[in-house]
Amino acid sequence: MDSRGNRDEEAFFERLAQAARPGLRAPSRLKSRIYSRLMRQAAESGPLRSLTATQSAGHELCVFEKFVQVLPVGARLDSVNYCRFCHGRVLGERVEGAPIPWSGCPYAEFQRH
Amino acid sequence: MQEDGLDSPPRLPTVPSLDDSLVDGIREGDRKATARFVELHADAVYRFVYHRLDRLEAVDDLVQEVFLSAWKALPLFRGESEIRTWLLGIARHKIGDYYRERLREPLISDDLDSESGPDSLAGFPDIDARLDGERLEARTRQALSTLPDRYRAVLIWRYWDQRSLAEMAAISGNTEKSIERLLDRARRIFKKRWDDG
Repeated sequence: MDSRGNRDEEAFFERLAQAARPGLRAPSRLKSRIYSRLMRQAAESGPLRSLTATQSAGHELCVFEKFVQVLPVGARLDSVNYCRFCHGRVLGERVEGAPIPWSGCPYAEFQRH
Repeated sequence: MQEDGLDSPPRLPTVPSLDDSLVDGIREGDRKATARFVELHADAVYRFVYHRLDRLEAVDDLVQEVFLSAWKALPLFRGESEIRTWLLGIARHKIGDYYRERLREPLISDDLDSESGPDSLAGFPDIDARLDGERLEARTRQALSTLPDRYRAVLIWRYWDQRSLAEMAAISGNTEKSIERLLDRARRIFKKRWDDG
């Protein structure tokens, strides 16, 4: 193909790429919903990994989980899915790019990437 | 015989695999490991599904189904393949189910155009352009969905992910020349499918 033909072809594909959304990524709302569903399934199938064990595995806890961790609660409450009651989850599931300020919050992480 | 006549097709890009501790974490109900699992792979599964479905509104639900099925099957995952390859395999099955289901749907002609005359669009000058854009996108997705995986991959890398030939060569472990040849074939086949569509 000659160079003009190549240029035309490039222009054709550039136009298509613009139409079909470049750098396509999963919406943060979808990631949030998937995560919520997985955690709900996990909680229904048995106790979640304790916050202490989660932290020992090298993961950062969010501010609410840290709060629960210092309370004198039993192991049963240490394995509750606290995201279920958090408005960070509601924001994450409903608002694309939601302003969730807490570090260690999965829903906040989904907004950043 | 391969469609493009290449003796050795480019390898698919390698992706970081979940390490054993992360898989164990998900199996044991670790919140953060599960979040990492979604974060690492949702984009790839989303892109895979997005370019293969004929209806955009079905993409989110199908991607979600892929992750739910994967989570249920995770105890059976033996690490013989990359977790992303495994996830995309599940996605492929779900897409097959989706199209099988679509074939069972009755054909309904709602003929909306005949109900709304040309005047109904008055005052909305952008709507034609938006519809054109949507049609173009739908047609592009349709043409992409008919391509063999490596042709689709190479076009998406180049034009949607904006990767250079050098990057694509590095990702796939091939030379720039072979990527260029593959890209050339992919473009020609895409154009043919596009024109036929």
